[in-house]
Amino acid sequence: MPREIKMPKLSDTMEEGTINVWRKREGDPVKKGDVLLEVETDKADMEFEAYMSGSLEKILVQTGATVPVGTPIAIVRLETDTDQDMAAFLAARGQAPQAASRAPAGSPPTPLPSPAAPARVAPPPSTPAEAPRRGAQGKARPTPLPAPPEPSLAQPAVRSEVAGAVSQLPFFLPDPDRVRATPRARIVAQEKGVDLSEIGGSGPEGAVLASDVERYLESLENQQDTLLEGDIHATPVAVRIAEELRVDLARVKGTGPGGRVTKRDLRAHLEREAREGPSREAELFGDEIKLSQKRKFLIRNMVDSKKTAPHFYISLEVDADPMRALRERLRGEGRHITYTHMIVKAAAVALERFPDVNATFRSDRLVRFNPVNIAVAVDVQDELVAPVVKNCQGRDLEDLAQAMDALIRKAREKKLQPDDYSDGTFTVSNLGMFGVESFYAIITPPQSTVLSVGAVRQVAFVESDEIRVGRRMTFGLAVDHRVLDGVKAAQFLAGLKRILEHPDELLASNAAHGA
Amino acid sequence: MVRELKIERLGRIPYVEALELQEKQVEAVRGGVAGDTLFLLEHPPVITLGRRADPAHVLVATPELRAQGVELHTVTRGGDVTYHGPGQLVGYLVCDLAARGATDVSGFLRALEGGLIDALAALGLRGAARPGYTGVFMAEPAGPRLRKIASIGVGLRGWVTYHGFALNVTTRLSDFAAIVPCGLSQVEMTSVARELGSACPCAAELDASAREAVAAAFSARFG
Repeated sequence: MPREIKMPKLSDTMEEGTINVWRKREGDPVKKGDVLLEVETDKADMEFEAYMSGSLEKILVQTGATVPVGTPIAIVRLETDTDQDMAAFLAARGQAPQAASRAPAGSPPTPLPSPAAPARVAPPPSTPAEAPRRGAQGKARPTPLPAPPEPSLAQPAVRSEVAGAVSQLPFFLPDPDRVRATPRARIVAQEKGVDLSEIGGSGPEGAVLASDVERYLESLENQQDTLLEGDIHATPVAVRIAEELRVDLARVKGTGPGGRVTKRDLRAHLEREAREGPSREAELFGDEIKLSQKRKFLIRNMVDSKKTAPHFYISLEVDADPMRALRERLRGEGRHITYTHMIVKAAAVALERFPDVNATFRSDRLVRFNPVNIAVAVDVQDELVAPVVKNCQGRDLEDLAQAMDALIRKAREKKLQPDDYSDGTFTVSNLGMFGVESFYAIITPPQSTVLSVGAVRQVAFVESDEIRVGRRMTFGLAVDHRVLDGVKAAQFLAGLKRILEHPDELLASNAAHGA
Repeated sequence: MVRELKIERLGRIPYVEALELQEKQVEAVRGGVAGDTLFLLEHPPVITLGRRADPAHVLVATPELRAQGVELHTVTRGGDVTYHGPGQLVGYLVCDLAARGATDVSGFLRALEGGLIDALAALGLRGAARPGYTGVFMAEPAGPRLRKIASIGVGLRGWVTYHGFALNVTTRLSDFAAIVPCGLSQVEMTSVARELGSACPCAAELDASAREAVAAAFSARFG
């Protein structure tokens, strides 16, 4: 009989593998020992060899796709196979279609050629579900996933009514009760809420042993902090499957270890949806927006910051007229200086004067930063980046302005290199151009403060019993209370205000440093 | 089954030559005419791009690289961009996992990490594995970014491994600025010399002691 090649299991913890490249094409003759394809997992690539001779009849999963372990990826026709054998085999597959024909990974597999024989041919003695047990390596390599569910599991009566992924349960969501496991493994799994179908068994015939369950629980502990998914509580397998099937994990009730959503829970969820139609939530929530790694990192960073750094907030109104006057004066001299340039320069001066602000909280100690590195938040095509002007101490206004403009240009061209946005010690964020009057940004760890700059507004104010008109802007400062108390934060902000209201200091200080 | 590990010290050899050597060794091990071997060596400056490499992760133009004597190679392995150069101890481990009764790739990767962590300990440094990121990192971060001291990537033909690890000993770290290592922009490369700081003996001496520490650690684990 023809053989199915399945995604091999290269290690106990491997859940899925990526096809790096097919070394053989459909129709190519295959000798035992020939390299058929390369499979990649983690940091290892395996050249996968044929364990039989014949020809590569059909590639089911294309180069670049990632599929769970055990997914059929190709069909090999043995030398002894007749056309009838082939037809019967394909018919049997057609009748009990397997995951490969609907695995949602990367490039969808090509549909099977419709066999010459009618669809309802009796399955051959060796069903495709059994064949692969003989092992991908020619040795006994139990597949971790049990036989694909029979059609009855998917409730055929409902199936026709509901469209999409929900209508048919994919093979990688098997019924946990059908997973081979020892009685003791079942008891342990029950106690801990472990979903047996997530475990590759090391016992005979791939049976899950109690020790497998223990090991799995351990790996769950370790894997937890590698997930960048923030508060989503699900096993790594469930996270991956949910991504593929586009199931919103927040909608699935978790019954696994520590309340995690497991494969079993996903299965129950999909079955319920298939039975009852889409829930109210499914009607409410629409398309998911894919997050970049960078964005995930930012989310994680911001959540960590809010969770661990106790923020408090102070704000001050700054007279913007002197800054405006300086800007106009410099413009007259052909120098292009903006409010943000002046604010960054003033912050650099103030941070040198108040070194306690240029500090961080590290494992129960307060540590001062050596350099003054000022990050400037920039929005580039919906992506927030904060390039860092390094070593601001002692640099004059023009020099800082140029360094900053160069970085911002680089950011707009998406050419920032990691070093360009690393090691900031203070951040300036300006939403003034959108008319925002005042706000407070979240501190970027390991920094301890962030300055939020509002719009320059023309206001009426009272001075010496007279109503006057002038320009004002509001500075908000978010402060990590572990590093600074209110008084020091206020002194710093007042110092910053004073510098900006006497902006000659921005020019003078450079003379002092230059001397 | 107990298998021995032979260790061969090859000095500095070009990347392509080392690749051919590994090919031969893999076939010899598969043919049963050679045992498991660890090659310890270093490469002249070279940037390698794996099959899934994002060319954007090489940050310097090819002519400029050539001008600086850095070769650029596309290789038929997975993974992203890697840099090798003087002062980096490269270990290529050709090892029959099936014969060792350990057909578990991730177990093998963890063992490589373990061997390197042992070797670092012998040099007075605390290395650590980071679940989810293969390679060895410094246990105590002193900055906002992870500090990576050794990279790992293996290939398998059947269950025989090749490729292995690259440990930065006295590597000129500025050379890494030419790439985004393994596509991880949150990671900063470090070296044994840099981590030891002032406690660092002269470069040649350090290279030799790192090599012997690795040889000892891997003999203990794989011998």
